[in-house]
Amino acid sequence: MKVYIALALGGIPLGAMYALQALGIVIVYKTSKVFNFASGAIGLVCAYFASSLGPGGWFTRILAVLAATLVGLVVGVLMELTVRPVKGALTGTIVTLGWLLTLTGFVGFVYGTQAATHEPVQLAGLDGNRQAFNLFDVLQFSWQQLLLLGIAGALAAGLAAFFRLTDLGTATRAVSEAPDAARLLGIAVDRVNLVAWGLGGAVSGLAGVLVAPLLGPLDNTSLIILTVQALAAALVGRLSSLPLTVAGGIALGMLQPVIHRALHSFDGVKGTDELTAFAVVLIALLFFKRSGRKDVVSGGLTPVPIRPLPRGGVAIASFLGIAVAALAVPSLVGDAGKLTNYNVSQVAVWGTATLSLVLLVGVVGQVSVCQAVFMGCGAFGAGIALSHDVPFVLALALGGLLAAGVAALVGLPAIRLEPLELAIATLSLSFTADRFLYSWPPLAGENGRREIARPGFANVDPGHVGDGNRAYAWLVLGIFIAACFAVASLRRGRTGAALTALRSSEPATAAMGFSVTSVKLRGFAASGFLAGVAGAMYGGLIQSATGAPFDFSRSITLLAYAVIIGVGSVPGAFFGGLLVTLTTLDFGATNGVANGHFVSLTTMVTGLFLIGVLMASPDGIAGAIGRLQRDSAPEAEAVLV
Amino acid sequence: MSAALELRDIGVQFGQFQAVDGVSLTVNAGEVVGLIGPNGAGKTVTFNVVTGLQPSTRGQVLLGGQDVTRLAAHSRTALGLARTFQVVQLFAGMTVLENLMVAAHRHTHAGVVVDALRLPGRRRALRSAEERSRAVLAFLDLSHLADVEVTTLPVGQARLVELARALCLTPKVLLLDEPASGLDPAETADFVALLAHVRSTLGCAMLLVEHDMGVVMPLCDHVVVMDFGKVLASGPPLDVRDDPAVRAAYLGDEVA
Repeated sequence: MKVYIALALGGIPLGAMYALQALGIVIVYKTSKVFNFASGAIGLVCAYFASSLGPGGWFTRILAVLAATLVGLVVGVLMELTVRPVKGALTGTIVTLGWLLTLTGFVGFVYGTQAATHEPVQLAGLDGNRQAFNLFDVLQFSWQQLLLLGIAGALAAGLAAFFRLTDLGTATRAVSEAPDAARLLGIAVDRVNLVAWGLGGAVSGLAGVLVAPLLGPLDNTSLIILTVQALAAALVGRLSSLPLTVAGGIALGMLQPVIHRALHSFDGVKGTDELTAFAVVLIALLFFKRSGRKDVVSGGLTPVPIRPLPRGGVAIASFLGIAVAALAVPSLVGDAGKLTNYNVSQVAVWGTATLSLVLLVGVVGQVSVCQAVFMGCGAFGAGIALSHDVPFVLALALGGLLAAGVAALVGLPAIRLEPLELAIATLSLSFTADRFLYSWPPLAGENGRREIARPGFANVDPGHVGDGNRAYAWLVLGIFIAACFAVASLRRGRTGAALTALRSSEPATAAMGFSVTSVKLRGFAASGFLAGVAGAMYGGLIQSATGAPFDFSRSITLLAYAVIIGVGSVPGAFFGGLLVTLTTLDFGATNGVANGHFVSLTTMVTGLFLIGVLMASPDGIAGAIGRLQRDSAPEAEAVLV
Repeated sequence: MSAALELRDIGVQFGQFQAVDGVSLTVNAGEVVGLIGPNGAGKTVTFNVVTGLQPSTRGQVLLGGQDVTRLAAHSRTALGLARTFQVVQLFAGMTVLENLMVAAHRHTHAGVVVDALRLPGRRRALRSAEERSRAVLAFLDLSHLADVEVTTLPVGQARLVELARALCLTPKVLLLDEPASGLDPAETADFVALLAHVRSTLGCAMLLVEHDMGVVMPLCDHVVVMDFGKVLASGPPLDVRDDPAVRAAYLGDEVA
C-alpha cells in the first residue's frame, strides 16, 4: 500500500505538466470553440528550440525557456490567423491537425529525426535531480520536480485570475458564450481570440519545455503522444473549467504509475500510461451529456450541400478505365514489372483506406483521426487468422471485422455526441495504439510483428517473382473497386438515406424511426471495416504486419489527403491512394538522415497544404473544381432551379 | 378498447421550475385533439414528452394502451407515432421523394451489409419504400413535386411535404406542432381542409399544438387548454371558447 501511495504522489509533478498542456487547449477552446490538437506539437517545437539555445548557466537556461515560450506564443497567434477565415469549429479543429503535421515536419527537417541528438533544457540545472526532501520515504520530490510544481501552480492561478478579474478575461468569457452578441456589444472578437490563442500557444509551449526533461533526451514523437494525457485532462475539465482541468491532469499523473505497477506483472505490456489516459478519455466522454453543449455545429466537416452521386455508369466506367490502364502498364514493362506491380497494389491499398474516410466524412459526417489504427488492427487480425490456417481472402475479411469491432468500441461513447468528441476519441486511440496496441502480445505477437504469408498469391517460382506480385495486384485492385461500388450502393440504399437525413436534422431522422446513434455507429463500423481490410491488404503486400506503417502521423495524413482532395467523392479515393503512394515512394535514399529529411519535408508540406485548402476551399480540390465547372456553366444551374 | 394516445399525470421539472404539472389527456382513435394555451403554458414541453424528445419527471405516456414513457423517440415511431415540426425540418439536399422514402423505410429491413453488397433485400427495400412514398404523394396530390429538391420549396409546400413524410410512417397517431405557422390565411384554410380529408380517409388520430383558432375550431373534436403547466379547461371547442377561465388566461383577468 505504502508503495502505491508513494508512486501516486511521485506522479504529481508529471500530472501538473499534463494539466498545463491541457490548460493550453482549454483556454483556446473556451474562447474560439476550436480544439487545438497541435498543442503537443507546439510543445515539441519549443522544447527543441530551447534545447538549441544550449545548456549554460542558470541565466541562459531561464532565457532559453522564456524565448521558447515566446515561440509558442507566436505559433499560437499564427494559428489563430489561419483558423479565423475558416467557417465552423470542426473545420478549424482540422486546421490544427494541419499545424500538428507542419510543426512535426518542421522539427524533423530542422533538427533531424534521430532520437537523442538533443538534450532538453533543465531549468533547475543538472543538480536539479537532487532530492529536495523525503517524508517517510512516501513523499519525495527532487528540486526539478518542485520547480515544475511551483511554475504550474503559479501559472494556473494566474490564468484563473486573468479570466475572473481582468476586462480582457471577461470579454473572453463573453466571446465564448455568444460571439455575435459580444461583437454587437463592441467587443473586438478577433482580438480576443488572438489573445486566447497566443496565451494558449505560450502555455502549450512552456508545458513542452518543462515536461521534456522528465521524458529523457528529445525525440520527435514523445512530446506529441503526450497530447493524449492533455486530452484526458481537458475532458475531465469538461473543456471549460480550469480548476477541474488541473485536477484532472494531476489525478491522471497520480493514476498512471499506480496502474503501471498493477499491470507490470503481465509480461510485455507496454504503454500502460497511454492506455490509462485513453481509458480516462472514454470514461469522461461517457459522462458528457449531449444536450449539455450546443456550441459545436453538428453535421460534419464541410458546409457544402450533400449532392447526390452522379447516377449511371460514368464514374464506374472511368474507374474501370483507370484500373485496366494501371494493370496494363506493368504487364507491358516486363522486368521492371516488379516495382510497378508493387506500386499498383499500394495505390489500391491506400485508395481503400482513403475510401473508408470518404464513407465516414462524406457520408456519415464524422471525422476520424485513427483510420491507420483500424488498418493496423486489420493487418494484425489477418495475421492472427492466417496463423490458424484461414484462407487468405477470408483472413482479409476477418481483419476488417476486428477493425470494425474496435471502431464500434471507440465510437460507442463518442458518436452520440458531436463530431468533435469522436475526433478527440479517435486521436487518443492513435496515440495509444503507437505505445500500447502495436506492442500488445495478444494482438501484435511476441515482438510486435506477425507474418502474413499469402498462399495462392505467393511468388510461386523464384525466377518469376513478378508473377506473384501481379496476381496480388489484381486481387487488391479488385477489392478496391468492389469497395468503391459497395460505398456507392451503401450511400444510395436505406442506411445511406438515413445517414444523409441525419446530417440535415437529427430530431427529424429520429422521428422517422431511425436510432441516430445506431445509424452513425454502423456507418463508423463500416468505415473501420474498410480501413481494416486495407490494412490487411497492406500486410499481405509486405508479407508482414507491424505497427510502424500505421502510426499516428499516418492516421493524420490519411485524413489530410482525404480533406485536401475533397471527401465527398468516391472517385477521390483513387487519388488519395495515389497521393499516399507517391509520398511514401522510396527514392533510394539509403542514408537514414536524408530519408528522414524527405519524410519530414513531406509531412510539413502536407500540413501546409491541409491548412491552405481548408482556408481557401473547405470541400477540397474536388469542391473547388466543381465550383469552377458550375461557374462556367450558369445556364445549366438555371435549369435546375 | 384503449385510447390511441393517453397522458397520465405528466410532470416535467427544470430545476425549481415546474414546466408541466400533472397534465392528463386522452386522444381516442380517429379523434382530433387540440392543445392550446398562451405562450409559456407548457404546450411544447408536453408535446415533446409525447414524442420522446423530453423525458418527463413523472407520469406515463401510453400509446395504444402500451406504456412508452421510457422508450426513445425512434422506438415510439415503430408503435405508430408520427410528427411534424414547428419549423419545417425536411432533409436538405434530397428530393421530395427521397425525403418521403426515409420515412417509408420504417417498413423495410435492409441493413448496412445488404446495402453495401447489393443483396436482393436492397432492391426490395428501395422499391417498396418508393411505392409507398409515391402512393402518399398521389393521395395528397403532390406527385408533380416528387423530384424537386426540398430546399427550393416555399413554406406552404414544405409543410405539405412534411405532412406527406409523416404519413409515410402510416401513423396511428399524428402529432402536429403548429401546422399553420408561416402560412397565410388562404394556405391555412387549404391545410385545414387537407387535414380533415386525411383524417376522414386514413382515420388516424391527431394531436395538434396550435395558436390559430381558425385551425383549432373547425378541426378539433376536443380541445385542451393549458396555462402555467396545468390543464385549465378541456372539452368541445365551443364550450372551451366560452369558458371564463380560458378567456381570463388569454385576455387577462380584468376582462373576465
